[in-house]
Amino acid sequence: MNVIEINGITKNYPAKKFSGDKIKALDNVSFNVGSGEIFGLLGPNGAGKTTLVKILLGITFSSAGKASIFDKPVADVNTKRKVGYLPENHQYPNYLTGEQVIDYFGRLSGLSKADLDKTTYKYLKIVGMDEWGTTKIKKYSKGMMQRLGLAQAMISNPDLIFLDEPTDGVDPIGRKEIRDVLLELKNQGKTIFLNSHLLSEIELICDRVAILNKGALIKEGSVEDITTTGNKYIFTTSDLTDEMMNKLLVEYKSTVHGRNEFSCSVNGIEDVNRIIDCLRASGILIHGVNREKNSLESMFINLIEQKN
Amino acid sequence: MVLYAFIKGIFKEALAKKILLTIFGFFTLIIVLIIFAITNSTVDGLQMMLESKSEGGLKEAVMMLQSGIVSGIPMFMLIASMLIITASFIPDMLKKGHIDLLLSKPISRTKIIIGQFLAGIILVFLSFLFLLGIIWLIVSLKTGYWNINFLYSVLWFTLIFAVLYSAVILIGILSRSSILTIIINLLLFFPITWLLYLANRYFESDQKGIVFGPVAETLLKFFYQILPKAWNMQDMCDAIVTHNPVAGYQPLISSLLFMAVMLSVSIWYFNKKDY
Repeated sequence: MNVIEINGITKNYPAKKFSGDKIKALDNVSFNVGSGEIFGLLGPNGAGKTTLVKILLGITFSSAGKASIFDKPVADVNTKRKVGYLPENHQYPNYLTGEQVIDYFGRLSGLSKADLDKTTYKYLKIVGMDEWGTTKIKKYSKGMMQRLGLAQAMISNPDLIFLDEPTDGVDPIGRKEIRDVLLELKNQGKTIFLNSHLLSEIELICDRVAILNKGALIKEGSVEDITTTGNKYIFTTSDLTDEMMNKLLVEYKSTVHGRNEFSCSVNGIEDVNRIIDCLRASGILIHGVNREKNSLESMFINLIEQKN
Repeated sequence: MVLYAFIKGIFKEALAKKILLTIFGFFTLIIVLIIFAITNSTVDGLQMMLESKSEGGLKEAVMMLQSGIVSGIPMFMLIASMLIITASFIPDMLKKGHIDLLLSKPISRTKIIIGQFLAGIILVFLSFLFLLGIIWLIVSLKTGYWNINFLYSVLWFTLIFAVLYSAVILIGILSRSSILTIIINLLLFFPITWLLYLANRYFESDQKGIVFGPVAETLLKFFYQILPKAWNMQDMCDAIVTHNPVAGYQPLISSLLFMAVMLSVSIWYFNKKDY
């Protein structure tokens, strides 16, 4: 079941006031996000990621196309009861304490005082901020603000959470903790829509990603599919004999990286097993067989450079 | 729930920005001045003056005193200070990073505007109730005449504020600037609507010392009709406080229409605006 459906979303902004010229922030973008997924939206600055999230939340209106959340148009206010949001550069009134921020936005989400009494500290604890609940947020660091923002996004126990740069300004340990929170939410069946520049993080936790560049969708798919380069396998073994190295070079067109590693392009899994049989028949121990992958980051950079 | 959140939010903001403290301090100062100003001799003097002219006794003296308290200059000072205090609420709400969050919540944009409008009015109503309520108590205790009608001035002042606050909302949404909102609304309150009020009184009177050209007269009458009539409403408040008949409710109706138009335009614009 799709939680988010985006069909041909286009957003034009006027280039200048009172001029007919337009800037295309989003150009006919279409994709879906399934229930229970962690979905990553990637793209360089100005690609249209935040604009797309704002359209999905009814903060900005699309110029063309349709989008729905839980099978309801994004304009439906009631759907937002099931949605949490952590915006980029969020600003809470700095005279409030962490607890009061949760209380204020919790009430706006429709929670009663009784609900808030039960849940405020539960969520502050999840993000590691329970000891700071009564401190004014003007004393918070950037990382603490992000954690508070995450608690705010979760307070109404939403089924879908939009997070725009959730780990911005958070130290590595904090980032790991936030990743753990997101994975826990996924285990609870929540859907998470993540905007982030930190591709290594996206790679670690996202099931699927979409890449935007200059408002257009240039790639969409599972992280596994996107980062896999082809049918090239890397074998790690015990010491290869000269005879075996020759055989690998001639028969299997392999590239040998020293006595303990070689890579080989194959036509299918049968070829991989044939190589394994050949190695084992010669008494060579196999330490590992891995399909060659690009990192999400290198793949992302290649894609953007090609498009530009 | 939403309205409660907005009211609580606005009170917290007012408390944090020391707005409530300023209001409380300013109003307490006024109350203290009134305590010292209204002595037995003040009331006796007024009473004797009225009795000598056969224009009434203690009751009229108290009403004259209360009429002075709700007259043009105090009304202007009170409402102008409230307009200045509340002018930042909408621009603050529209700050990037805050408005995004607000619009992501399950509240319609119409409710957000109405919530902010009502929250501002409630803050001002409670402030006026504190000031005018205590003044009423002091005057009543000192004179022994309890003029309940004076308390209607709380509602009238709040109403005048509400009419002008609707323009604060619209200008705040359009400009996102507290300073611009304050300047435009204070100019609207004084001198624009005040001069239009005087011009209208002049056109309605028999004495015509100054001759206006037909275009100027039409324009002045037009703007008088479409803009809020805070000063006429102050006259109406005065009439009620002093137990006199109200000349007519047309200024109130047209001011309420102005408020409805301002709020409708605010809601319409806010509903179609990208943030």
